[in-house]
Amino acid sequence: MTTIDAAFYREGGLRSWLTTHDHKRIAILYALGITFYFLLGGAAATMIRLNLVNPAGSLLSAETYNKTFTFHGVVMVWFFLIPSIPTTLGNFLLPLMIGARDVAFPRLNLASWYLYMAGGLFTVAALLAGGVDTGWTFYTPFSTMFSNTHVYLVVIGVFVTGFASILTGVNFIVTVHTLRMPGMTWFRLPLFVWTMYAVSLVMVLATPVLAMTLALIALERLAHLGIFDPALGGDPLLFQHLFWFYSHPAVYIMILPAMGVVSEIIPCFVRRRIFGYRFMTYSILAITVIGFMVWGHHMFVAGQSMYASLLFSILSFVVAVPSAIKVFNWTATLRKGAITFEAPMLYALGFIGLFMLGGLTGLMLAAPALDIPLTDTYFVVAHFHYVMVGGSVMAYLGGLHYWWPKITGRLYSESWARAAAILMFFGFNLTFFPQYVLGYEGMPRRYHSYLPDFQALNVLSSAGASILALAYLMPIAYLLWSLRAGQPAGNNPWNARGLEWQTSSPPPEENFRHQPVVREAYAYDEAAP
Amino acid sequence: MSVSRYLMVLAALLALLALTAGLALLKLGPFNTILALSISCIKTALVMSIFMHATEGRRLTIMVSLLGFIWLAILIGFALTDYGTRASLPAPW
Amino acid sequence: MTAAAQVADQYDDAGQQRYAATLGMWVFLATEILFFGVLFASYAALRFQYDQGFAVASRHTDMLLGTLETGVLLTSSSLIALAVRAVRLNERRSAVTLMAATAALGLTFLVMHGFEYYKEYTEHLIPGIDFSQPGVHAHAVELFFCLYYCITGFHSLHVAIGVVVISTLAVRVARGSFGPHRYTFPELAALYWHLVDIIWIFVFPLLYLIGRGG
Repeated sequence: MTTIDAAFYREGGLRSWLTTHDHKRIAILYALGITFYFLLGGAAATMIRLNLVNPAGSLLSAETYNKTFTFHGVVMVWFFLIPSIPTTLGNFLLPLMIGARDVAFPRLNLASWYLYMAGGLFTVAALLAGGVDTGWTFYTPFSTMFSNTHVYLVVIGVFVTGFASILTGVNFIVTVHTLRMPGMTWFRLPLFVWTMYAVSLVMVLATPVLAMTLALIALERLAHLGIFDPALGGDPLLFQHLFWFYSHPAVYIMILPAMGVVSEIIPCFVRRRIFGYRFMTYSILAITVIGFMVWGHHMFVAGQSMYASLLFSILSFVVAVPSAIKVFNWTATLRKGAITFEAPMLYALGFIGLFMLGGLTGLMLAAPALDIPLTDTYFVVAHFHYVMVGGSVMAYLGGLHYWWPKITGRLYSESWARAAAILMFFGFNLTFFPQYVLGYEGMPRRYHSYLPDFQALNVLSSAGASILALAYLMPIAYLLWSLRAGQPAGNNPWNARGLEWQTSSPPPEENFRHQPVVREAYAYDEAAP
Repeated sequence: MSVSRYLMVLAALLALLALTAGLALLKLGPFNTILALSISCIKTALVMSIFMHATEGRRLTIMVSLLGFIWLAILIGFALTDYGTRASLPAPW
Repeated sequence: MTAAAQVADQYDDAGQQRYAATLGMWVFLATEILFFGVLFASYAALRFQYDQGFAVASRHTDMLLGTLETGVLLTSSSLIALAVRAVRLNERRSAVTLMAATAALGLTFLVMHGFEYYKEYTEHLIPGIDFSQPGVHAHAVELFFCLYYCITGFHSLHVAIGVVVISTLAVRVARGSFGPHRYTFPELAALYWHLVDIIWIFVFPLLYLIGRGG
């Protein structure tokens, strides 16, 4: 089955892939890396859920359990979720959507992939060799004074990967500012591009803070420069301030691109324009900025001043407003539309439901009165999994299915894809909804054993996890199969309106054979040759 | 831009440095720090506008050049809402 | 012989390419501000709690050396600005001289720091290696010096990188790699050097000048 277009990817062999400056190939390199780390993190999650099937937690010892959930958190957050959509779909689509020939700095783009892979492999090696038992949050003084594990190695790995994020962010910001095609004004940009721009700002402004804070942990462990050291009167809580200054906005690094993907998928399968385009862009920007001012809601019980908690709580409610505007606009787009339920649309609809549940429980946690009893229970675990897995991962897979024909030039099996999407939705809810209940009943997180009363719900959750695992493995199988035997996709299999659908699938190296022009948002012409 | 203009800016920067050092020797309470940081801001404005040409190109350059400072202000400002109000509310127990 | 600008595929013309590179550098400088920002924020939080102790500690630093170091960096900043101007006017010889002088001043700064560190070592002021201080503020003094070494160390690292970059640049200018139509890289290196200078403009009063009055 030699075909028309896939030859594009076969040119040049491995060497040309590893030295490529083409944003489309780098996107695919990133996709391979991300899938690899996702499977590793998923394996750790499987161990956790297996261990929690029985109350004694007899599969893993307490220490191994601590290392396992740390492994799961570190790998999933920094090596899967943060880079997931921006570096794969973003890298592939951003230049296509603004009519550019590549990103502004192709060499930095490749360098960022190498940094990401090097940092990731180093971290994984450190995690496997000795492990870290601090949790992905590395809270001081435990991480600096008491933990006897490979904290500083892991911290160095995450530090290196931070630079990959920064390079991607710088690249996207400059690309959007300088390489938009003629007529592509800011308010004609596809919403996905807006979210890529916003997420790049967050990466650029938040990641250095994380990197330096982690460097301070390493310095405290190695050189005894202990500014977090309570024995000197240093302040362990300072670490939490600095850490969450990055790590709360990091949640927006995960969810903003997901919102962008969904904002592209829904109009396509509803055959309507997105409702309230301008409000969508304003709410993206509002989330970006206000998202930086809410970090203290992670520290209500940590000893933070009551007034600060009050301020952070109010701002956390404020940041929910633009998110809600987006949910309203997606649902308003659905109204009176000619909806069809292709696989990407199923993922997008699943995203809206799960994100809403995750977001609303987030509001419960933003209120100190509720957060104080719920801190460090499974309620929190369920909340952020609804946002990060129910939100980001669903949208990532939705986007992957939506743009798969563009990226590979092949169609996957629609019925298998729908089955996987539906299975994933049910598996996900079965896994994480019981955790809301468990948390509300008071089961604490990060323990390898629990009271026998909680067993029924834990078994339910683990059963859901096995369905979820199956649903995640299915796309790997049928998407790979489509590369061999899928039907050729043609330029625009969904009949979508975005600029990326006007070029061939996969696009040629220079992206467009003729320079396209734009008259209004989502309406594009190809200039006469 | 002429050589003399750069040299005048350098002279101004060195004069401001002397002023900073001199003011530090006076006993002004909190104003020591406030004045010193204000002078630092003036120096920074000089370096950024003349040496780095931030104000000559497009407006975007100015915006981006201020971005880091604004976000740093968010970080320090919000962190200090905690540190500034912590001591005044001792725990009730 | 003036090197002409080469335009990469993704750009329409040299002007767009130069603008993109400059913008990218400014964005990167914003990240640098936040890298140092962590240290400034830590400083703010800790000084808020230990104002007295920080004043005591600051008096252990060498104000004269600190002031001279600031003067050295400010001067070097003006020299690199003049060097970029010289490159743009195709005055290659003076550009090379100015860049060499900038790098030399950077090295001077590092050497002066070395003397400071040595003096602090003899006075038992380096936490983790040799720290012992009398008095009620001993812990606060140690915290101050933890920050002092993080900040000045990280800053000196930046100065060292700058010295290497500017020395390489001087060599390349001498070889004629840059000229009136090709000066993006010298300009970006200068931007970086100015930022390192700006950071120090804030570090100087915060570390060296508190508690000096009276």
